Amino acid sequence: MASPAAVRELQRDLENKANDLSKIQKDIAKNHQVRKKYTIQLGENELVLKELELLKEEANVYKLIGPVLVKQDLAEANANVRKRIEYISAELKRLDAAVQDLEEKQNSKREAVLKVQQRMQALQAGKAKA
Amino acid sequence: MASSKGPASPAVRVAEMEKMSVEQLKAVKEQTDLEVNLLQDSLNNIRTATTRLDLASVALHDLSLRPQGKKMLVPLTASLYVPGTLDDSEKVLVDIGTGYFVEKTTVEGKDYCERKIHLLKSNYDQLLELASKKKTVADEAGAVLQAKVKQLAPQT
Repeated sequence: MASPAAVRELQRDLENKANDLSKIQKDIAKNHQVRKKYTIQLGENELVLKELELLKEEANVYKLIGPVLVKQDLAEANANVRKRIEYISAELKRLDAAVQDLEEKQNSKREAVLKVQQRMQALQAGKAKA
Repeated sequence: MASSKGPASPAVRVAEMEKMSVEQLKAVKEQTDLEVNLLQDSLNNIRTATTRLDLASVALHDLSLRPQGKKMLVPLTASLYVPGTLDDSEKVLVDIGTGYFVEKTTVEGKDYCERKIHLLKSNYDQLLELASKKKTVADEAGAVLQAKVKQLAPQT
């Protein structure tokens, strides 16, 4: 009863959906990596901020820019580190939202793949009986 | 990254593992083994860092004992040293991270090292606890897996 063409089409559909699913999974993995890097940077910057806050007003702060050690103002260094922490936190929030969205897409793709697989199985069973 | 096996007591965990098939159990054991290895690596990293900080602290203490003007050899590369004189052993530059350096006295520098070592020690203890918990779960999974395999074997 089931034409081979219908089976082929279902197979193509299954392949497409499976490819989409693996792409989404790769995106999720990349998201995790970037997020790990940002988390580490955030931790380091917070440590630096704590150290800077322990300093007295006249303490000398230097920043390493390439091969050059440049004297910096304590207030400026504080402001820079705070800004960096803000930026990284914002990036992390953005990544969080993105990964949630990706996970939803992954789940719905999984369901779609399952449905196609079930239809194929039903079709194959129908063919076998006929 | 948090595992969901936290609040379950060992009896509950084993009961859940009994319900799983051999494949699932193998997957769980592999996953937990992987996590244990990662945690061990982190523990080693912390140990290395703590040792380096310790060395830095000792070097600082030694430096503070040296008089000004003392002749010394300054490393320019790993194999090239240049003769020089010790200028001011009171001030040291401390690398606090992300490219920032702070001028501190030797006492403050040693204090910095101590603080960092304390922080690392507490992190190490936390990690150790987590790692041993994971190891327990992995061992349980392994035991249940073996029992199941033995169960299946005589049936075939």
